[in-house]
Amino acid sequence: MTKTPLIRPCTLVWLILLALTGLTWFIGESGITGMAIVGFVLATTLFKSQMVVDYFMGLKHVRAAWRGLLFGYLLLVCGMIGVAYYISLT
Amino acid sequence: MTTSRKHDAGGLPGDFAIWIFIFAELLVFGVFFLAYAFSRANNVELFNESQLHLNRIAGAANTVVLLTSSYFVVRAVAAIRADNARRCGHWLLSAIGMGSVFLVIKMFEFGEKFSAGISLSTNTFFMFYLSLTFFHFMHVILGIVILAAVLLKARSGGYSAANHTGVETGASYWHMVDLVWLILFPLVYVIH
Amino acid sequence: MQYSSQAVAKPYFIAAIGLFIGQILFGLIIGTQYVIGDFLFPEIPFNVARMVHTNLLIVWLLFGFMGAAYYLVPEEAERELFSPKLAIAMFWIFLVAGALTIVGYLAVPYATLAAATGNDLLPTMGREFLEQPTITKIGIVVVALAFLYNIGMTIITGRKTVINIVLLTGLTGLAVFFLFSFYNPINLVLDKMFWWWVVHLWVEGVWELIMGAILAFVLIRLTGVDREVIEKWLYVIIAMALITGIIGTGHHYYWIGTPEYWQWWGSIFSALEPIPFFMMTVFAFTMVNRRRKEHPNKAATLWALGCAVMAFLGAGVWGFLHTLAPVNFYTHGSQITAAHGHMAFYGAYVLIVITMISYAWPHLHHKAPAANGRAQLFEMWSFWIMTISIVFITLFLTGAGILQVYLQRVSDTPLPFMVVQDKIALFYWLRLWTGVIFFVGLCLYVYSFFAKDNKSLASS
Repeated sequence: MTKTPLIRPCTLVWLILLALTGLTWFIGESGITGMAIVGFVLATTLFKSQMVVDYFMGLKHVRAAWRGLLFGYLLLVCGMIGVAYYISLT
Repeated sequence: MTTSRKHDAGGLPGDFAIWIFIFAELLVFGVFFLAYAFSRANNVELFNESQLHLNRIAGAANTVVLLTSSYFVVRAVAAIRADNARRCGHWLLSAIGMGSVFLVIKMFEFGEKFSAGISLSTNTFFMFYLSLTFFHFMHVILGIVILAAVLLKARSGGYSAANHTGVETGASYWHMVDLVWLILFPLVYVIH
Repeated sequence: MQYSSQAVAKPYFIAAIGLFIGQILFGLIIGTQYVIGDFLFPEIPFNVARMVHTNLLIVWLLFGFMGAAYYLVPEEAERELFSPKLAIAMFWIFLVAGALTIVGYLAVPYATLAAATGNDLLPTMGREFLEQPTITKIGIVVVALAFLYNIGMTIITGRKTVINIVLLTGLTGLAVFFLFSFYNPINLVLDKMFWWWVVHLWVEGVWELIMGAILAFVLIRLTGVDREVIEKWLYVIIAMALITGIIGTGHHYYWIGTPEYWQWWGSIFSALEPIPFFMMTVFAFTMVNRRRKEHPNKAATLWALGCAVMAFLGAGVWGFLHTLAPVNFYTHGSQITAAHGHMAFYGAYVLIVITMISYAWPHLHHKAPAANGRAQLFEMWSFWIMTISIVFITLFLTGAGILQVYLQRVSDTPLPFMVVQDKIALFYWLRLWTGVIFFVGLCLYVYSFFAKDNKSLASS
């Protein structure tokens, strides 16, 4: 079986996810805020989650509808969180 | 859903039934997250002030731990696809180990909050913080139980490159547990 | 029928239907009392008639569940029932105890009944649905233990299937949670809190397991779909039912003195309680659509599909209507609750018991897989009449409830309770007449057991 095609991108994804987690943590520590920051963190979160869906769960390789369903879910959740923060900031 | 669908669940990895379960779980967490976000919109100051009391290092560390654990599960699936049940078992055990580290860190965090006299009734923020993280905590435990069951079967030679639906089923559930935490961490610990 | 001991289910089913008739008669009495306040007073006061109506419902459903278990378990376990004699003995004990209790309700004032049955020694009476005298409750526990022992031994020594295990878990849960009816704290908050452990964790918890198991059993037999497939659905459905149902208990804890977080926990988890019911509907229709054979018992298939749909509407949709804390703040204890209660009990539990009876009866009574065509026709008519009636009863009560909530609670100039009751009396009249039609449907159902086919009618 070909194992590198599965493992190599996943190792990279794992490292990217760790780096982005560090970035999110740093933003939290620095205490900076504002809609742009919140939007950035939420976009990072959306990206990170979709990476897990695509590579870890492996949905990149299945029928697009399933991936789309999960993307829709993540977009809805992150988007609505953004809306809630937007309401509170204005 | 017929038996043939089990092998062709639109290609979803693992048993189709676990995916129904995963979707339902995601729905529960989604509703919970939005309830948090919109309650916060009505109580911004209370939420911002209370959030400062959270242990963000523990939260970030747990994110790293869960991500790593998920990665180990990916390696376990790759190992069994290469027909290496032994290595699959090792990766699964490592993933379970990381899951346990998550639980320990979380229990330390809970202990810290409880000894500070914080409870579900302290205020709306801590109600959500404790409810969400405890609910997720229970899922980590369930995930570990599932991975352990898969591990036992893998050890006894129950899986092979040709037949490893069970490994993928357990892996899919575990990634869901990870996925939910990836949203929970920034939402509850970071953005304000 | 593959095992002769399955026949013990027969008296249970007969008793269930008999008590069902009684329940509906008392329903008609209280329906009349809603609009003619002194109807049958002082012989049968409203509170007594209502108690009989709800208690009969619970008892006949329990008879139905036990009958279903006695029929289903041997066939699944592939062996005779552990002890048919014990099952028959328990049947008579339960029937006599139940009958005596009902006679007690009707013959003497409730306080006299309480004093006569030694309620002061171990006070358990006086709470809605758990009105039974303490000795009756002890009797129920004894019957339940003997029943569990009987089917438990059958399952342990026989083939263990998912259906059997789920059913046994549900029935054990039913018995365990009933024990909380003996716990009667002085503190009213704790009293209510644990009261729901019986009431809620029964109908929105363990009973769903029983329902799922019976539905799965009947669908395997009717459709011939692989057991493996049906069992997988059953697993997912009960997992969802338990996750949402157990924490969903919180939707009863909103303003009774429990901590505020229950408003969140209760709202979020109970809002998801429709999911397992929806999955059950999808499950039933998918299995029937993918059937591998044409089972001659069309009526049973209709009951099964009807059960799945009506359970979703009654328990799922009508439950969701008033489960969120901000909505429930206004609708709490109004006719909305009554609307939900009627359709949910009918859809989920009345229909699952009738589904089982409809499937099992031809085997038990005619030694055939299905009743004759004419009998099935009557069954199907009774299904439609009863189901449409309950839909209208629910709609009328919902109308009454919306008006009641508005006039009495939401309006800027709220009206007193009794004034509002007068204003919504039209809905109660409509409900009463629909109840009469329901009773006609029930009579037709009973008649279907005696209906002969056209051939034998012609020859005689």
